[in-house]
Formats: sequence, C-alpha cells, structure tokens
Amino acid sequence: MRLLPVLAAATLALSGLAACGSNDSTETDASTATSGTVNWWGWTPTDTATANAYIAAFNQKFPDIKVNYKLVNISDWVAALRPALASGNGPDVFDMQPGAYVAQFKSFAEDQTKLAEDALGAGWKDKVAPIGISGLSADGKLTAMSVGSVYAGMLWLNGDIFKKYNLTAPTTLAEWKHVCSVLKQNKVGCFVQGAAQEGFDQDTLQSIANSVQPGLWSKASTGDAKWTDPGIVKTLAIWKDLFDSGIMQEGAVGYQQYPDANNDFLTGKYGMIMMGTWYTQYATTKAMTAALSAAGVSGAKPFPILPAAFPDVAGAGNTSEMYGDADFGLAISTKSKNKAAAETFVKWMATSSEGQQAIADQLNDIPSLKGVEPDFNKIELVDPATQKGPVEDLITKSGAITEPRESLLSADVQTGILAAATSVATGKSSPEDAAKALQQAAEAAGVTFK
Amino acid sequence: MTGTSTPTLHRAASVPDSADGGGRRGPRRPPGLPWILPALVLSVGLIYYGIGYTGYISTLDWDGISPGPEHVGAHNYTRMLHDPVFWAAVRHTALFFVLTFVVQTLVGLTFAVLMHSRIRLAAIYKVIVFVPVVLAPAIMAPVFRHMFAPDGELNAVLRHIGLGDLAQPWIGQTSTALPVIMFITIWEWTGVTFVLYYAAMTQIDPSVLEAARIDGASNLRTLHSIIWPELRGTTVALAMLGAIGALKTFDVPYLVTIGGPNYATEFLGTYIYRQTIPLSHVGYGAALSIVLLVVALLMALALQFAGREREGR
Repeated sequence: MRLLPVLAAATLALSGLAACGSNDSTETDASTATSGTVNWWGWTPTDTATANAYIAAFNQKFPDIKVNYKLVNISDWVAALRPALASGNGPDVFDMQPGAYVAQFKSFAEDQTKLAEDALGAGWKDKVAPIGISGLSADGKLTAMSVGSVYAGMLWLNGDIFKKYNLTAPTTLAEWKHVCSVLKQNKVGCFVQGAAQEGFDQDTLQSIANSVQPGLWSKASTGDAKWTDPGIVKTLAIWKDLFDSGIMQEGAVGYQQYPDANNDFLTGKYGMIMMGTWYTQYATTKAMTAALSAAGVSGAKPFPILPAAFPDVAGAGNTSEMYGDADFGLAISTKSKNKAAAETFVKWMATSSEGQQAIADQLNDIPSLKGVEPDFNKIELVDPATQKGPVEDLITKSGAITEPRESLLSADVQTGILAAATSVATGKSSPEDAAKALQQAAEAAGVTFK
Repeated sequence: MTGTSTPTLHRAASVPDSADGGGRRGPRRPPGLPWILPALVLSVGLIYYGIGYTGYISTLDWDGISPGPEHVGAHNYTRMLHDPVFWAAVRHTALFFVLTFVVQTLVGLTFAVLMHSRIRLAAIYKVIVFVPVVLAPAIMAPVFRHMFAPDGELNAVLRHIGLGDLAQPWIGQTSTALPVIMFITIWEWTGVTFVLYYAAMTQIDPSVLEAARIDGASNLRTLHSIIWPELRGTTVALAMLGAIGALKTFDVPYLVTIGGPNYATEFLGTYIYRQTIPLSHVGYGAALSIVLLVVALLMALALQFAGREREGR
C-alpha cells in the first residue's frame, strides 16, 4: 500500500515533466498587425547596432511592436535554429539564405506569396530583385521575403596602406604577387583569408574559376559540367599557387574569416581581404569605428577601405565577374504565436520604401526593392574623396549581376569544396585528385551530371 | 558503514513480509523499489531510451526534421567502413589517447612525488597545477587560438630568443594542429592526474617506504619498486578515464581548430557533430554515436580486465 503514494508522486512528477516538454499546438496569435512582440533571429546583420538601427526606424511607424534581435554566429546557425524552430519556442522571424538553408528550413517557413501580393500588388515580382525570389522559393512557396542581396568576387583594400606604399590594386596574378612582395618588404601583411570556412573558400575559388572560364563554376554546381573539368583543375592549381607564392597569409587554412581574418584586416595587419558587397558598410565612419571597437582596437582611427575587382589570375583575359544571392530574406515561423506583428515587420523591412531605404543606407545589403538607392548625402564615408566613386560604381555594377553565389550548392557539396580546397592548400592532394574527390562528393550528394 | 549495514539487509531479505506489512519479527525489509524508482525512471527513460532511440535512428536516412525518414538498414554502418574521415578520426583518437595518457601520467606522477617531498610553497604549486582543470575550455580556446596564431605569443617568444626558424602557423597546418590539441588537453587535465596520484600516495604505508630506506633503496628505486606498483589501481582508473575522455573529445578541437585543417584534428565527437548538425545527416551521425558507445564500452572493459589481470598476478 505504501507503494501507491510513491507511484502516484512519480506519475505526477513525470506528467509534470511531460507538460513542461510538450508544446501547445493550439495556434493563437498573441499579436495584432500594430502591436505585439517579435523575436527575430539572424546571422546578419552581423552587428546588433545595424539591426537595432533597422528596428528603430521600424518603430517610428509601428511603435507598439517590439522587435528583439538575436544575433547568432553563422557557424552556430543551424545548430541553434533547428531545435528552436522544432520546439515551437524559437523565433517568430528568422533569416533565410538561398541554398542549403532554404532546403533545411523551408518546412518551418510560412509561404509569403500572399504577403508580397498584399504589399506590392499582383505584379510584385517586377518590383523586387529577381535574384531574391528564385533563391528563396522552394516547393512552390516563397519561404522568405528578400530584404537585400549581397555580391562577392572582389577584394577590399586598405586605402591607407596602398597609399603609403604607392601601390595600386592588382589586376593580374603577377601584379598581385608584386604587391605582396612590396608589402612584405615593409613588414605588412598582404592578403588575409579565413580558408577554414567553406563559404569564403568558395568565393575565392569561384572568382578564380570565372577568370579561368566564365560560368564554369555555376555549370559544375548545377551538374552541367563535372568538377573534374580541366578548368576546375586549373582553378585548384591557381588556388594552390596563392598559398605557395605567399599571397595567402601563413596558416590561412587554420583561419576563420570571422572573426580572425576580419579582425586582422580591420586592425590594419593586412592590405587586402576577400569580402563582398556586405563589406561596403565599413566604408562609413560609423560602421568602421564600431567594427574597430568590436575587433578590440580602442581609440583606433578609421581608415578608408576601397573595393577592387578580383584580379585576372588565370591570365586568360577574362574579367572575373561577380556573383551573388539574396543576402537574407526574412522568414516567418509556422509556429510563431505573433504572426500578425511578424508579418508587419517583414512587410516593412522587405517591401516598404522606408524600410528598404534604411537597408540601403546601412550599405550592408543592396536593397531588394527596385529604385531604392543609398542616400549618400546622409552617409558619412571615412574618406569621401577616394571612396565615393568606387563605392557608387560597385553598387551600380551589382544591380546587373545574375550569376548565383551559393544558392546552387547543397551543404554536402560545400563540404566537398572545403575538403578539396584545404587538401590542395595543405599539399595533401593534387588539384586533379581533389577535383576527383569533389566530383565523388557531389555525386554522393545527389547531383546529377550530364 | 557498509560493513554494518550489509548483513542487516541480508537478514532482512530472508524474512518474508506478511501481507499486511505488520506483525513481523526482527528488522523490516526496507521498501527499496519506491526509493530507487525516480532514479530508475530517469535512467531507463532518458539514458537507455535515448540509446535505444539513437540505435533506431542509425538505421534511417533522415535529416532530423522531415516527416518521412527512409529505412536503410545497416547502410550507415557500411558507409562508415568506406569513410576516410571516420578512419582519420579513429586514428586521431587512438594517437591522442596514447600520447596524452603517457604524458599526463609522467607529469602528474612527477608533480605528485615532488609535492610529497618537503618543498617550499607546495600549496601554491598544487593550486597552480590544478587551476586549468576548473577553467572552461570555451574560455581558454580563444586564448590558445591567439597564442598559437602565426603572429601569436608562442612565435613571438621563439623569435625573441633567436629561434625564429621554429616559428610556424601551429594550428594552421596539418602537421602541428593535432599536437597543439594534445598539448592543450595535457595542460588542462594533468591536474586531475596529479590529484589522484597525490591522494593515492598518501595511502601507501609509510613503514614500507621506511623499510626501503633502511635497506638502502634510492629515490628512483623506491619510486620504481614500491610507489609505482602501489599506484597501479589509480593508473588503471586514469587510463579508463583517459580512454573514454579521448573518445568523447569535442570541445577543444571544435573550439580551437573546428576539426581542421583538412580534418587533421577531427575526432569522433566533432565528426558526429559535423554530420548531425551542419550536414543534417542525423542517421549517419546516430550510427557514428552507436559505434562510439560500443568502442567506449569495449575499451573500459578491456582496461578493467587488464587491471584485474595484473592485480591477480
């Protein structure tokens, strides 16, 4: 008989635990279109100050919607987001990127086609950048509304260093090596890259491939060409040359782009870095000062950064074209209990002229809504005399880019690319063998080759 | 405590309970089941159920989210046999265990012997040796990343003392990344080895040591012939802990080198994480986890068996 109360207590305790672990599946919206709390998780904007600037602008129009931004490092993104979304206690709004993330999280995202139609009308597709629709659509639904796009395939230079040593941006592999030798003679690092992270290795490899044979990288990504193509093998050989010739910094394959390479560049240790248009924000005094502070440099003087085209490293006379994707779209969780307020926030960020202007003026993304451009009268560049022209040219040029960046690659293929890149860089594989391994990885990942 | 209570329990077990629970002679049998029930429910419900469920998942091709996982039988296990990264992780784990265990044993034993001798400021040295044990790897990882960076403190010291030729990107090349991970682990865990050896040495009968001295045994001879054999049980326990620790290694390689470069510091733990979370191969990750569990059990049994064998001789 004494067993009974103990069993009853244990049952109660377990049922209590079960109640704690269970999710209330009842869909009730605790918010309205003009009030409520929205939890937004993202890996970008990469600094909370930028996100809070967006939120502050949003709150000028919707003061009763509180938006909480949670920054998650991109390397922890999948690990953090998947259980959060599955549990039902995750974010109401979350960042979405074309490619692997759409594949992984599409089932947790509301279809936003109606939201787009409500905001921009039936012809909404003509009013936003097409690159932001295709990459964020899957299984017949629009998983996220593109906020802006980013493009890569270029270098950023430290203007002060180049000016001090009377250097110009390299346009060929030989010039690149020359610039590096000059900088090294003066005990300044040349080019820094976080080659331990696949996304940034892909950028450099895609740029090299575009110099070898424009469009080949995209063809290999879609299966229209094999990764064992001689052009890809040559790409890997040039990649190896970047390490052997000392263009890449020592120990690059142990570096992460964020924070290692980024901090080293921002603290003036290196003259060049491979970053995309998202780095334009650091052309401004405000963002550069904040970035220097985040990099641990107190009282440092901001320096002007300058965009430069990726050199024609293959010497084939091909201009290495840039490529890009929607940087991030905003997805609304299917399990959100604040959908009305979340929709208001996403609509404002992605489709309103005020929201898109705030995006444009931060220079983190190229805005999704056509016709919105940065207002340089309000933007304070570190050195307008040297930066304004190149930055405006970069933004103009970006609008015409159609080549995808990561949206064609699955996580498995990206892992295969990283393995190929690091095995070649460390001398463990020849470019030919690495290309074969990459081809096998792509086939194992389900890519069908013609 | 144990010596007095055990016979009582045996006696009680031999007395049959009456149906109403009363009217019995002698001590009553303690109602054991209700008391262990919460722990039993938690243990079976969480741990063993978790292991069983992981075993089931290991037979699936599943991303952890999709509603319709595909049953693939033993495919995830056969895939492992042809996976070079898995075998690299196994090699790294084995090498890591052997080297870290040997070095930690030597250094920990040396510290313990020294602390048992009459040295000044021994208490301070004990704290210094043990402090790394209580420092979280997440806190120390950035420090070590900086220390072993190409422009880090280690290379700066080498250049300063005229050994600039030895300066290199320690965690940025495959040849030195794994030794760095081992160094960090040794630095972190030698304190535990030291404490256990130190405690075990206090259990050695002083009269035996004194007899050895009287017989003219040197310090080294005493250490080799008396102290070291007396510490065998501690050494076996440390070997077991080290083996299981090596199999579970995750935090240091993940935080310092992310398993790289080029998988040079990939361990079973980091590879399970890589497959399960970033790549969403939850089925394959589960199969790796089951293999890890089996290997851990086998190693623990083997070491336990080896320890008893030696004790029996």
